Amino acid sequence: MMNRGQIDVAALRGRHPHHFVGLQREQRMLALVAAALIALLLLGMAYLDFFDAKTLRGITKLGEVAILMLPPDPGSWAHFQLYFWALIETISIALLGTLTAAVLALPLGLLAARNVTASRFLRFLTRRSLDTIRSIDILVWALIWISVVGLGPFAGVLAFATSDIGSFGKLFAEAIEAADRKPVEGIVSTGGGKLLGVRFGILPEVFPVLASQLLYYFESNTRWASVLGVVGAGGIGLQLGEAIRVLELQQASFIILMILIAVALIDVISNRLRFALIGRRVQTA
Amino acid sequence: MSSPIVQLPEAQLRPLLAGYNATVRSRRWHTLLIFVAVVVAMGLSSIAAEVSLPTFVDKIGNFTGYIGRLFHLDSGRGVWTDPVEWYWGLGRWLRLLGETLVMAYVGTALGVIGAFFLSFLAATNVTPNRWLSVVVRRFCEFCRTVPGLVFALMFVIAFGLGPMAGVLAVAIHTLGTLVKLFSEVVENIDPKPVEGVSSTGAAWHVAMRFGALPQVLSGFVSYTLLRFEINVRESAVLGFVGAGGIGMDLFEAIRKFYYSDVSAILVMIVITVALIDSATSLIRHRLLGLMDGHR
Amino acid sequence: MLRLDGLVKEFGAKRAVDSVSMIVPPGQFVGVIGQSGAGKSTLLRAINRLSDPTQGSIWCNDTDVMALKGRGLRQWRARCAMIFQQFNLAGRLDVLTNVLMGRAFHAPVWRSVAKLWTAEEKAMGLSALESLDIARLAGQRADTLSGGQQQRVAIARALIQEPEIILADEPVASLDPRNTRVVMDALLHINKHFGITVMCNLHSLDLARKYCDRLVGLAGGQLVFDGVPAALTDHVARDLYGLEASDVVDADQRPVLVLGGAQGLAVANP
Repeated sequence: MMNRGQIDVAALRGRHPHHFVGLQREQRMLALVAAALIALLLLGMAYLDFFDAKTLRGITKLGEVAILMLPPDPGSWAHFQLYFWALIETISIALLGTLTAAVLALPLGLLAARNVTASRFLRFLTRRSLDTIRSIDILVWALIWISVVGLGPFAGVLAFATSDIGSFGKLFAEAIEAADRKPVEGIVSTGGGKLLGVRFGILPEVFPVLASQLLYYFESNTRWASVLGVVGAGGIGLQLGEAIRVLELQQASFIILMILIAVALIDVISNRLRFALIGRRVQTA
Repeated sequence: MSSPIVQLPEAQLRPLLAGYNATVRSRRWHTLLIFVAVVVAMGLSSIAAEVSLPTFVDKIGNFTGYIGRLFHLDSGRGVWTDPVEWYWGLGRWLRLLGETLVMAYVGTALGVIGAFFLSFLAATNVTPNRWLSVVVRRFCEFCRTVPGLVFALMFVIAFGLGPMAGVLAVAIHTLGTLVKLFSEVVENIDPKPVEGVSSTGAAWHVAMRFGALPQVLSGFVSYTLLRFEINVRESAVLGFVGAGGIGMDLFEAIRKFYYSDVSAILVMIVITVALIDSATSLIRHRLLGLMDGHR
Repeated sequence: MLRLDGLVKEFGAKRAVDSVSMIVPPGQFVGVIGQSGAGKSTLLRAINRLSDPTQGSIWCNDTDVMALKGRGLRQWRARCAMIFQQFNLAGRLDVLTNVLMGRAFHAPVWRSVAKLWTAEEKAMGLSALESLDIARLAGQRADTLSGGQQQRVAIARALIQEPEIILADEPVASLDPRNTRVVMDALLHINKHFGITVMCNLHSLDLARKYCDRLVGLAGGQLVFDGVPAALTDHVARDLYGLEASDVVDADQRPVLVLGGAQGLAVANP
């Protein structure tokens, strides 16, 4: 068996300098980056008063809060009914908002796609607008729409419809750009115009992708819709925010439970639908 | 030159046409059915969500008016005419924006550290214990499904108003999402290097360190950076429920109709988000290039 | 009559087609041969103006093809149908709809967009499909068909354009030997019975010799051979495919097409 002492590191280094240098430089770089990131984390935590007696007290308090939440309990039958209809309202907000946004986003997605819109300026303008819409949070949109149409679920619907245009427009544009260009070429080569190329060459190909993205968004929007009520844009968030504020924690946890069940149900349904839409096709595509 | 189409005799054509029409018709019925289902669902939802087109038509003017007012100072002049007046609170807003970024960073970092360890426990192919994997997965599903804002509301009760509640909300939501994504990355690795290291008699954590980690690192980094972008956006609104950051001032400005303040803060957020997005995508490409280059 | 004059197509610094001039009388079956990357595809795509040539001119009878744009250009494309190696069908649409795309130029746009085909158009499409033995597949989705069937759908699409010229870009490169024969026979039939000019890119010299009236050889984008198949001796073929031909066979074990002749000269099939 070889003894460690027999390995002449200096000689090896002389013969294969790149092994030593390369490794060392890379490791040193990585260590440096990691150290910087951790230092930044500690500084940040200090800045936000993490290392403070208050934190410890907060954690104890959090434990108490968690215990107070159990078991989930709506309080009364009337409360349960109220929550149930608020949940229906929440799902409706998400559904309507998502669908409206998708319908409005499709033409914008086409405008932003390289293989449909030739004008570089138009594409740039569309993309920047979509990015701007996207970088403003749904809650901000909700507040703005509340100022316009008043408190209530309608403001929530409009908030989703505007906010999701940004995300959908970008996703749709990417899906359209990823579409195979061969069918379009086939149609253009027969003397068909751009419109026919898009209609028959691109849209049928990307439609299942768009539909499945829409279903994903519907699911995640239902989650978001359950907090819109906290700022007054309808849905179960109103009750949830209220329950937490007045420390009716068992009711709060019951509402959270209802939301979790609703989201899980929608997840199952949308998976089924997605499968029906593209499931059979995925293997051959 | 004659037309290359030799028209089929009617007797031969008719059954072909009938067959084609029948196929197409059944497909069209199918499409129509889906369409009707969607329309009905939308109709029912619009009743539940109190959608009212008259209100919309009536108030849409308010929306454009609102957007217009956002860009006018109290004096009625455009905001661009007097940037100093527009950004009268620049110092305070910059500090709050900085706080928002720190919240996003600390929240992301804490979430990533937790997700890093949990994902190896959750991934079905490398987990040391199947039951542990199920427990971790369920827990993370919970963290993912409950909206961050709800966590923030709870944490505000425990920790009081301020960024601490926001950071923890971001961290816990990040943990939930990233464990799912990370464990998917781990599940897609090539098992041979792990087996290779394990076969030398190495312990589980050693096998993970040298067998699995090199394969998953670039995926982890990619998802982390994407998550950071999302967290910056989210941190900016956590202040709506008192959980720190620039959201507090934004919420107040919107609620109290300080129009030019709203636009000033929004413009700052949009620019910051755009800068962060381009920076992270730059870092992502650099890092991935670096890692692939040295493999 | 199709006339190309000093046709050049550049991609950046690279000349894919380098001053090609030729005259194709009506009704000819022209085979375009050469190594992959010799500019065969680019040449055909330039004639249909799927990609615009950098220099030179294309004339078809009295039409200055290079000057066309808008509706005129689309009319030209309708006159010279294209067939592609990968069929270029819309996979999720049914076969007949794919074929009826061949009427895209003739039917008003709104009617096409709404898929409101007339009875005559449908009859035309079905007749074209039946002439290729696949009318019974009219209602199926195009991507459920085999490669050979898909290429026949593409030919039917070309037929109902009622074109003067068919440009076939490696129509059989993705097909097995049996379907290769079906497709090539169909092209030959169209050429001989209806007098439609066919320009066909081919990899296999055997096929080129068997089906074409005239062969045109490209190397490095330049026209280096033009003559009847009989004039394409093994010596000329070796020039055309360069010295690498034998090297490729030695270098790796990719499937090869053996070129006629006892010398055993072979061409790699990429």
